[in-house]
Amino acid sequence: MNEKRVIEERELLELLQDYPVPEAEAGFYDRALLRAVHKGSRRHRNRWILAGFGSAVAAGLAIWVITAMLMTTPQLPDAEPTIPGVTIAMEQEHTVRLVFASAEALDSATLTVSLPDGIELAGFPGQREITWETSLKEGRNLLPLTLIALTPAGGELLARLEHKDRNRTFRLRVDVS
Amino acid sequence: MTDSRQTEVFERVVRPHFDRLYRLAWRLTGTKAEAEDLFQELLVKAFGMLDQLVHIEEPGSWLCRVMYNLFVDQHRRFARQRMHLVDEGHLPGQGLADLAGDLDPVEDRERLEKYRRLDAALQQLTEDHRHVVLLHDTEGYKLEEIEGMTGVPVGTIKSRLHRARARLRQILEEDGTIS
Repeated sequence: MNEKRVIEERELLELLQDYPVPEAEAGFYDRALLRAVHKGSRRHRNRWILAGFGSAVAAGLAIWVITAMLMTTPQLPDAEPTIPGVTIAMEQEHTVRLVFASAEALDSATLTVSLPDGIELAGFPGQREITWETSLKEGRNLLPLTLIALTPAGGELLARLEHKDRNRTFRLRVDVS
Repeated sequence: MTDSRQTEVFERVVRPHFDRLYRLAWRLTGTKAEAEDLFQELLVKAFGMLDQLVHIEEPGSWLCRVMYNLFVDQHRRFARQRMHLVDEGHLPGQGLADLAGDLDPVEDRERLEKYRRLDAALQQLTEDHRHVVLLHDTEGYKLEEIEGMTGVPVGTIKSRLHRARARLRQILEEDGTIS
């Protein structure tokens, strides 16, 4: 092994050894323990996993999907969470797709979309919060949302998916050009 | 045993291994949501096997093996599906942006950028290769422990590790992460 290769090997191993993993949320272990010993949860635990939240801008349908890692903030101080973003033009319709991947079919999930000031969902004028009851099939589920910017302020769109006692909230930054 | 006694015994056996198991779940799944679900599934399964669990000499290793099998049984098919999404334009390593540390901001940025590149490189490996390098080189599991967990012979693990490192070196050298 030449010297360069040795250095590369060492650098790689150091990088891998330091590769961090976020700690569990405070209280997660206790909650997991409680659920595990709860008889009901043992029999009827519906598991669902959200793998991504994506956006397809109208022009190209080039879907970009960001894994749930993006949406989860480790408990570390002074860390600004990175939020995926999309830029849309004023008063033009843009389709944003929520991409949910579920490990199994789920009935009666509730999806709530909260919109920032000045952003509307086509077909729901003036509504800041829209809630659906929906079912998810096993695998990938796409929900297209058509956004319209009425002011240049932009803001954060929140999408909250709930099923029984579990929920996930995703954030998407919407900028207006 | 009464319910409360069962709970007490269960907690005493499993809690010492929580951090290790959570990290393993993260390494296997790569996302918080999936890691939490896998961790939860493990506890549910383990509680159902409490009678067996209390007689196991090394419950930590046993729990790791059960977690790995759960992952393979229930998550691998889904993970392949997720990789399809990744092909559409995954932005690797973004979740690492939150891992700012105690270094000064410039050093932090450089460190996070390295992790992002490493994460992107790891995503280019096959799942088997990615897992073996993360379990061995990052989490410090011995080859024999990985064999016990995955059922893959040590020789195959060594081969995967060698190829995974070589591929990572190639990717990270090309993008300038390592010299």
